[in-house]
Amino acid sequence: MSASDDRRAEAPEATSTEGLNRMRSMRFPMSPADARSLRAGDVILVEGEIVITAGLPTHLRLLDCAERNAAPPIAIAGGSLLHLGSYSRDTADGGLEVLYMNPTTSTRFNALMPRLIRHYGLTAVGGKGGLDAGCVAAMQEVGCVYLSFLGGGAPLHTAAIRAVKEVAWNDLVAHYRLVRLGVEGLGPLTVGIDAHGNSLFQSLQAGAAARMPEILARLAQDREGAGA
Amino acid sequence: MPITYAAVKALSAQLYDWSLRKVPDDTKAGLEAALARETQEGARQILRMMLGSARRAEQDERFVCSDAGVPVYHVTIGTAAQLDGDIKQAIGDGFDELVERISPPLLKHVTNPLTNERGYKGKDMPLITWDVAGGADWVEILCQPKALGSGRWAALETFSFPTLAQIEEYVMKVVMQAGSQHCPPVIIGVGIGGSLDVAAKIASNATMRPVGSTNPEPVLAAMEERLLRAVNATGFGPMGTGGDTTALAVHVDYAAGHGYTPVAVCFNCWINRRTRARLHADGSVERFE
Repeated sequence: MSASDDRRAEAPEATSTEGLNRMRSMRFPMSPADARSLRAGDVILVEGEIVITAGLPTHLRLLDCAERNAAPPIAIAGGSLLHLGSYSRDTADGGLEVLYMNPTTSTRFNALMPRLIRHYGLTAVGGKGGLDAGCVAAMQEVGCVYLSFLGGGAPLHTAAIRAVKEVAWNDLVAHYRLVRLGVEGLGPLTVGIDAHGNSLFQSLQAGAAARMPEILARLAQDREGAGA
Repeated sequence: MPITYAAVKALSAQLYDWSLRKVPDDTKAGLEAALARETQEGARQILRMMLGSARRAEQDERFVCSDAGVPVYHVTIGTAAQLDGDIKQAIGDGFDELVERISPPLLKHVTNPLTNERGYKGKDMPLITWDVAGGADWVEILCQPKALGSGRWAALETFSFPTLAQIEEYVMKVVMQAGSQHCPPVIIGVGIGGSLDVAAKIASNATMRPVGSTNPEPVLAAMEERLLRAVNATGFGPMGTGGDTTALAVHVDYAAGHGYTPVAVCFNCWINRRTRARLHADGSVERFE
């Protein structure tokens, strides 16, 4: 059973739904045109190659490479940089393996991502929780989307790994290393921010803020009803 | 028969290991109930993936999340329990031994807050709180590993003679600050009153109550119900990409204080890691979750 079959098995009811009908398989690395073909709210499966890290020091090193115009140890230009933590290690036969992987909070990299997205021409970033307005603007300029992963989805995400291609900056703790992976059927992932300036995270925050007076009024009404 | 260092050490390690590979049954039931109510298809798909991930982790004994958090234990010692050995040391040694043998290995998450260096050991780690149970002859240990994903959004503010409206508005303010980011649907703990540390402790303890349980105090039960409805009206939804299910539960508790009233709000992400067991005087281990 392939990784994508596995995940469909986890979501059997979804096969006949509108949600899954909209689901597209995207070959990674994506072109900017591919990225621009996606819309916030779309759901995709990723096939091909991704680059991942969960480390702040890793982002700083990538920025340092950008500033020095030096090539990072794993090429990310025109590709993806996803906020996924993983446990990687050498195997007995001289290869590499990733034992598990899962997303981390993206907003802690807000300040660093616009420069990375622009310099490396990233077409996909991702993790969980979204990125801020500065990142959304950079993504729109470059042609880049943000992919929202299921947090607590390690068994599903890990099953999509087909090959561990490269691991760099091994002096860092495992989840901070830069890792290039081959994946098949990684997802379903929600396009949280598209390359047209639309962010589900921003629109949901704005919607909740707009509804807050109504929400608080209902709370007051419920308090009265409860005699509180 | 005394409760020994060896028994506490072994159980502490087991509780941590178990917590990484199983979403508590009450939480899975909460997710199922949310799935039945959820109206947005994208959110329904994510809830189904959550249940799928939980099932796979349990069946294959895998970690649900790659972030194993840091070891947090709550220990309740019966006043009639006989102890043989340093049980605080036993909990720390149990974690150290687990780090050596657990498969797959844990990532290094114990962080020095002054340098941000990460490893398996650190000052005052594991984080342990202690309580006593009058007359009991057992020791109960609850393990609740905590990580940045949801831990980052906890907040506390101190008010002076607040109204219930002010308290509830503050809870909603903290919910808005967390927004999409704490791996919703979350379990929200609210602690009101006491002192700074007591309010925080009450909020943390409140997250340990099973999802779906009703607060025995009617005033708090009503408050929990209306706050849950309010939180879910925000629309952040599962994984914060939209939906009716932002929280599975809001649990509130309080302590009397002096009129300066700290209000603490904390979150557990949807996997709601929590295991609990009791060591009895006859040497048996009673596992609750």
